Amino acid sequence: MISNFITMGGYGLYVWLSFSIVLISCAVVYIKTKKTLKKYEQEFLTELQALTLEKRNKALENSQVVRQILATNSKVN
Amino acid sequence: MFKFFSSTNIYILIEKLIKFINSIFFLILVIGLTFALVLSPLDHLQGDAVRIMYVHVPSAWIGLACFSLITLLSVLNFIFKIKIFYFINKSIAPIGLLFTCLAIVTGSLWGQPTWGTWWAWDARLTSMIVLMLFYVLYILTFKILNKEELIIKVSSIIAIIGSINLPIIKYSVEWWSTLHQPASIKITGSSSIHSEMMLPLMVMLVVFLLYAALIFLMKYKTEIIRIKKKNIKRN
Repeated sequence: MISNFITMGGYGLYVWLSFSIVLISCAVVYIKTKKTLKKYEQEFLTELQALTLEKRNKALENSQVVRQILATNSKVN
Repeated sequence: MFKFFSSTNIYILIEKLIKFINSIFFLILVIGLTFALVLSPLDHLQGDAVRIMYVHVPSAWIGLACFSLITLLSVLNFIFKIKIFYFINKSIAPIGLLFTCLAIVTGSLWGQPTWGTWWAWDARLTSMIVLMLFYVLYILTFKILNKEELIIKVSSIIAIIGSINLPIIKYSVEWWSTLHQPASIKITGSSSIHSEMMLPLMVMLVVFLLYAALIFLMKYKTEIIRIKKKNIKRN
């Protein structure tokens, strides 16, 4: 039964190759997208840290998103 | 409605949605793969080769749907100048390209055992290649051009011209004699696919849609951070 599952009635090469290509491509794109997102989050936080206290507080006051990015990342870290 | 998509309201929602999709995705993927590779019946002509359909068809559908959405949003952006659509399109395009490429590759792998050839320059296959090229052109505008105004104009024109290809892809199997079979699933009218194959196909479509949503949300979140980063630099 397992051998039938692997050979797929003689079409194993085509079926397994199709599923593998889809899974691997999707995994690569997922990892790459996640990496880029993390990179931008990190760069954003570094730039925020580099600001003077006054400018940082102003940025936090003016933008809810900046507060949310900061809050989300402090939870992760 | 447009305010809903603004960065302020949507950032937390994106975060929650990403967590939600991450929590259910693996389970639905396992269910989908079990249906597609084990439980679904064999085709009386194609045998097990029919299982390629469960990755090929959802890929093609999403590839087409993404370009349709890009065209719609490009037209709306052209008329109403709503900048959020530009960021949504920028996030959708790579997903559309990925699924179009996967549809072409898996189609080729399905073609060899069923048609006896990896490739044929017939109407459906050629129009899918044209769609892929339009995706490449569309994405290149973001990479090559610098001015945002120019990018919006050029990418919108590419999307609108590329949309002419969409009905050609859809009706190519009816207008011309092609190797590709006519549509088995119809939104209006009865489908010729058996329910035992339809169910795995729908489960796999859900898996692909969840994946596409996950990538879109991560890319859109990256765009929001990129905008905020620019704003911080300006201030």
